[in-house]
Amino acid sequence: MNPTFGSILIKVLAGAIQSGTILLLPTLGEVLTERSGVLNLGLEGLMLIGAFFGFLGAMKTGNPYVGLLLGMVAAAAAAAIHAFICVTLRGNQTVTGLALAIFGTGLTSFYGDRWVSQRLTTPIKPMAIPGLSQIPVVGPILFSQDLIVYAGYILVALFWFLLFKTKVGVNLRAVGENAKAADAMGVNVVGTRYFWTILGGALAGAGGAYITCCIHPYWLNGITSGKGWIAVALVVFAMWNPFNALVGAFLFGGIEAMQLQLQAGGTYINSALLSMLPYITTFVVIIVATLIVRVRHVGTPKELGIPYAREEK
Amino acid sequence: MEGQEQLMLVMSNITKRFPGIVANDHVNFALRKGEIHALLGENGAGKSTLMNVLDGIYYPDEGEIVIEGKRVDLRSPLDSMKHGIGMIHQHFMLVDSLSVIENVILGLESQGFYIDKKSVAGRIEAIAKKYSFRVDPYAKIWQLSVGEQQRVEIIKTLFKGARILILDEPTAVLTPQESDELFGILREMKSEGKSIIFISHKLNEVMSVSDRVTVLRKGRLVGTVDTVSITERELAKMMIGRDVLFRLERKDIEQGREVLKVEDAQAYNDRGIMALNKLSITVHGGEIMGVAGVAGNGQVQLAECITGLRHLVGGHVTVEGIDVTNATPCTLTSAGVNYIPADRLGVGLVPNLSTIENAMLRKYRQEPMRKGAFIDYGAACTYADGLIEKFDIAVPLRNAPVKVLSGGNMQKLLLAREIEENPRLLIAEHPTRGLDVGATEFVRKTLLEQRDNGVAVLLISEDLDEILMVADRVAVIYEGRIVGIVDAHHVDIAQIGLMMAGAVGAKA
Amino acid sequence: MLRFEKRDKTPVRLRVIVPVCSVLLGLLVGSVVMLFARVNPLRAYGAIVKGAFGSAYTFSETLAIAVPLILISSGLCLVYRMKFFNIGAKGQYIIGAICGSYLALFGPATMSRPLLLTLMMVLGTLGGALWAIIPALLKVYWNVNEVIATLLLNYIASYILWFFMYGTWGTRGFPLSKNFALNAQLPRILPAPSRLHIGLFFGLAAAVIVWIIIRKTRFGYETRVLGDNERAARYAGINVFKTVIIAAIISGGLAGLAGIAHTSAVLRILQLEINSDYGYTAIIAAWLAGLDPLVAVGISVLLAALEAGGYQIQIVMRVPFGIVGVIESSILFCLLAGEIVTHYRITLTRRLSTPLALDERARGAA
Repeated sequence: MNPTFGSILIKVLAGAIQSGTILLLPTLGEVLTERSGVLNLGLEGLMLIGAFFGFLGAMKTGNPYVGLLLGMVAAAAAAAIHAFICVTLRGNQTVTGLALAIFGTGLTSFYGDRWVSQRLTTPIKPMAIPGLSQIPVVGPILFSQDLIVYAGYILVALFWFLLFKTKVGVNLRAVGENAKAADAMGVNVVGTRYFWTILGGALAGAGGAYITCCIHPYWLNGITSGKGWIAVALVVFAMWNPFNALVGAFLFGGIEAMQLQLQAGGTYINSALLSMLPYITTFVVIIVATLIVRVRHVGTPKELGIPYAREEK
Repeated sequence: MEGQEQLMLVMSNITKRFPGIVANDHVNFALRKGEIHALLGENGAGKSTLMNVLDGIYYPDEGEIVIEGKRVDLRSPLDSMKHGIGMIHQHFMLVDSLSVIENVILGLESQGFYIDKKSVAGRIEAIAKKYSFRVDPYAKIWQLSVGEQQRVEIIKTLFKGARILILDEPTAVLTPQESDELFGILREMKSEGKSIIFISHKLNEVMSVSDRVTVLRKGRLVGTVDTVSITERELAKMMIGRDVLFRLERKDIEQGREVLKVEDAQAYNDRGIMALNKLSITVHGGEIMGVAGVAGNGQVQLAECITGLRHLVGGHVTVEGIDVTNATPCTLTSAGVNYIPADRLGVGLVPNLSTIENAMLRKYRQEPMRKGAFIDYGAACTYADGLIEKFDIAVPLRNAPVKVLSGGNMQKLLLAREIEENPRLLIAEHPTRGLDVGATEFVRKTLLEQRDNGVAVLLISEDLDEILMVADRVAVIYEGRIVGIVDAHHVDIAQIGLMMAGAVGAKA
Repeated sequence: MLRFEKRDKTPVRLRVIVPVCSVLLGLLVGSVVMLFARVNPLRAYGAIVKGAFGSAYTFSETLAIAVPLILISSGLCLVYRMKFFNIGAKGQYIIGAICGSYLALFGPATMSRPLLLTLMMVLGTLGGALWAIIPALLKVYWNVNEVIATLLLNYIASYILWFFMYGTWGTRGFPLSKNFALNAQLPRILPAPSRLHIGLFFGLAAAVIVWIIIRKTRFGYETRVLGDNERAARYAGINVFKTVIIAAIISGGLAGLAGIAHTSAVLRILQLEINSDYGYTAIIAAWLAGLDPLVAVGISVLLAALEAGGYQIQIVMRVPFGIVGVIESSILFCLLAGEIVTHYRITLTRRLSTPLALDERARGAA
C-alpha cells in the first residue's frame, strides 16, 4: 500500500516535533541563562557532553533515563566552570563560551572514539498519551511522542509561568536588566547567575542526551552537528521568551525534517536555501530586536555579558 | 531636651570618617513624630552621609541611633528597613522593563513563590489613594515619567512599612508641578503620622514645606531651628556663613574682549529633564569666571554644551564672535576651546593607554608627531617629557597605563595637555576634586597664569571657597540659569548663599 | 569571601607568569583527561611534538596549518583591541574561498598564472572583507551585537558554499569542484609531499604589517583609543564609523585571503570541508597572544603543532584527535581565569553585610 501524501506529512511533522525538542531544551536553558545576564556560547560543547555521557550512562546501566540524567549532570558541571570564570572571575564571556564549545567537542570526540557506532539497544521509546493521541492529525504529531517531548511542552509552560508570574522570575529578570538595583533590593546576583547558568547547562545536556538516548541511539563524533550553535541563535529569534522558543525550535526542526525528505529525493540545492532560511530570519530578528529596544524596552537583557562588580562605580 | 516619647528618632554624636576627611563630626539630629524635617547644607556638608548612616549603608565610627526610645544597630539597609526607615535616593533603584508591581516586590522575602498581582496591585493602589496620588500598578517603569517613578520609590518604602522616610534632593529631577505634587503627598503623609526627612539645598522648598530645619556645614551641625521663626537670609548665612578667605594674587589687567558668549542656552540632561533653562553667561579674555552652585543645577550640562558633547536645543554659543552652537568637539578645539572635565577618566583620558599616548591625544594629527600615516613616537615621547617636566608630573613609568597615576598627577597631565594647546577659552570643571594640597595649589596657580596671559577661563566648581579664592567674577547657577553675577572682590556671602539656594533671581 | 581590589599596576612578571601557567595547567588538564582513557600523557605529548616537528615533512605540515591561523589572528588582534568581537572569521574565510575559487573554476583558462593568482587572492580578500563589513555597519549604525551577527553569518556562509557545491559548481552531483588547473594553484615552496605554500609569506607579512599598524600608525592608535574609551575617542575627534569599518575590512580581508590561499595551495579543489574552523582556532591564538600579532605568529605555530601532532597521534597511537581541542580549550580557560589576577588583587575577607558599604572603601569621600 502506498503511503498517502497526508501520512507522509504527518510523519514529517512528527519528526519535526522530535527534531525541534532537541533544539528546544538548550534554547530554553539559554533563554534563562541570558535573562540572568550571562552569555553562554558553549551550548554545542554542552550538548555534546550531555550526548556522550548520556549515551555512556545508558549503555552501562541499560536505562536510557539514567543516561539522560547523567548527561544533564555532566553538562551542568561543565556549565559550572563557565559560571565560575564568567561570574566570579569576570572573564570575557564570549571567549569563554567558545572555549567551552571547543572543550566539549574535543572531550567527547576523544572519549567517544571507542563508542563510535555502538548501538544503544534500550533507547527511550514513544509513549502515546491515551485519548489525546487518537485525535486525528494532531494526535499522532503531538501526542504520540516520548516523555522528553512532553517534558519539553511542560517546561515551556513552566518557564513562562516562572518568568512572568513568580517572584523567582522577577528576581531573575531584574538581575539581567539592572543588577545594581537587584542587589540593592537584596537579591543575590551572583547566586542567581550561577544557578541559571548551571541549570541552562543541564538543559543543554538534556538536549544532547535526547539524541543519543532516543533519536539516534548510537554515538558519532559531533553527533549534534551544530545544533548547539543553532540554539544560541534561536534564543535571539525567540526574543528571550519561552513560547517563542517553542515556535522557533519546532520551526527550525520542521525545516530540518523537510530537508531530510528533500535529501531523500535528491534535491540538494533547495535544501541549502531552506537551511539558510532560519539563519537569515534570525539575522533579521536580531536587527529588529536591537531597534525595538529603543522603543519598547524589551529585547536583549541589558546586563548580558557584563560582569557584575559591586564595589565599582 | 524634649521627652523621648515625642521623638521618633534621635541620632547622637554621629561621627563618620573617610580617608582624609571627616564627613560627619559629632552630629546630633532629632526627628519628631509626624514632622517634615529638612536637612540643609551645601556640597560636602555631610547631609547625604548622615542619611546613609541612617539607612544602614554606612556604619558610624562614633555615636548612637535611637528609634522610638530603643537603641538600634543599623548594619545594612535591610536592618534599617526592619526598623521602619525607608530612603529614596537621587538615583532610583528601578528596573525599567518590569512593572510597578514587580519592582515593588523585588527581592522581598515575605512574598512567597507566586505573585498575586491583584492583591499587590490592590495594596499599591490603597497606599497611593491614602496619600492622594494615582499610580498604575501594571505600568512598566519605562512608561512612567520621572515624577511617577519617584512615587514608585515612595510606594516601595511604604509597602515595606516605613514610618520614617528620607528623601535625598527629591526635586532635583522634577518639574515645578511635580515638585508641588510631591509636597502635597508629603503633607498627607505627615498628617498620617509619618516622619519625613528631606535633604535639600533649595531655600524656597525648605521654607514652604518643612516644620524644622537642620543646617550642616563642613560635617558639623550648625543648628536646628523651627522654620516659622527664621528667614531665608538667616538660613543662607547658616548654610554658608564664613569669612572670605584670602584671595590668590593676580595681575591687575584690563578685562579683554568677549571670548565666550552663551545666550539663552537650553539643553536636556540624560534623563530627559531640561537642565539648561535659557542660560546666559559671558566670559572675557583675561578673567576667571567662576560658576558657583550646588551640584546638579546644570553645571555639567553647561560644560558639555560649550565643548560639543551635548546637544543644545535652544540658544547660541559664540566663541570669539564665531557661532559654534552644536559644533563638533573637533571644531571647538580648533576654535581654541579646551576642556578639563571633572571625570578624568571619562572624556579626558584613556585609562589603559600610556601616559605618552594620552599626552599626544590632541596633537597626534599634526607635525611633528604626524609623519604621513604614521606616528613618530619619538616626537611624542619628547612632547610628553616636556609636559612632565614643565608641569612637574610624577610619572613612574611613561609607558605604563595612565590609570596607574595618582588622581593629582592625572589631573596635572590633563591640564598640561590642554594648556599646551594655547586655548582662547579654558573650561575647568571641578579641577581640584580629590586632589592633595600640592596638586590643588598647582592647578589653581596654573589657572591664574592662564588668566594673566589673556585666556578666558570658565571655572565650574562645587567648592565655593575655591571660586572665591580664584575667580574674578562669580556667577551663580541655579536650576539651569544664571541667577546672579557678582564681583569676587566685594562679595556678600549671604547674598551668594541666597542665590545658590534659589531665593534670588530664580523663577518662583 | 573573595574580595577583589583593583590593582594600581600590573607587575610585569604577572604578564608572563599567567600565560605560562595557563599553558602548563592546560597541558595538565589534558593529561588528566588522557589518564581517564588510559593513555600515557607523556607518550602522547612526546608523540605530538614528534608529529609536529619530527621531520622536515611534518614541520612543513605544521607550518602549512599555521598559515591561515597567522593570517586570521593578525586581523583579529586589530579588531579585538577595538573591542569589536568578530567571531565570523570562519564565514569570512569561506566567502573568500568562494570568491577566489570562482575565478579559478570559471575564469579564462588561458590567463597567465601570476595574473590569475593575483586576481584570485584579491577577489578572496575582497569577499572576506565584504562579509565583515555587514556586521560592522550594523554595529556602527544600529549597535547590533556583533557576536551573534557574525555567528549567524558563519552559518549563512557555510550554506552558500553548500548551495554552490551541490549546485552548478559540483561535479556529477558530488559536492566537489573540478580540480584547480595549474595556473590556479598558489605555488608551494617545498618539494612534494610538503604542502607549505607562499601563503606563509603573506601571513608573516600580514603579522608584521598589522603590528606596524597597531603600534606605529595613526589609525592603529585611534583603534586602541576607541577600544578603551569610546567617549574620549569621540571627543578627540576620532571618526568612529571610519575606524570600525576599516578595521573590519582588514580583519575580514585577511580571513578571506586565508580561505582562498589555503584552498588554492593546499586543497587545490573547492569542497564542503575547507578547514574553515581555523577561523575559530585563530580566535584562541589571538587571545592567547594577548592580541599582539607577532606573538600570535608564535602561538599560531604552537596551535598548528598541536593540530598537526594531533593528526599524527591519531594515526600512530590511535589517540583520538579530540584531545587537541581539549588541550587548546583548557589552556584558554586557564588564561581567561587568570586574567583577573592581572587586574585585581584577590584577598579573603570577612563577609560584609552591605553591598553599598563597600562603596565607602572604594570612594573614600562623602
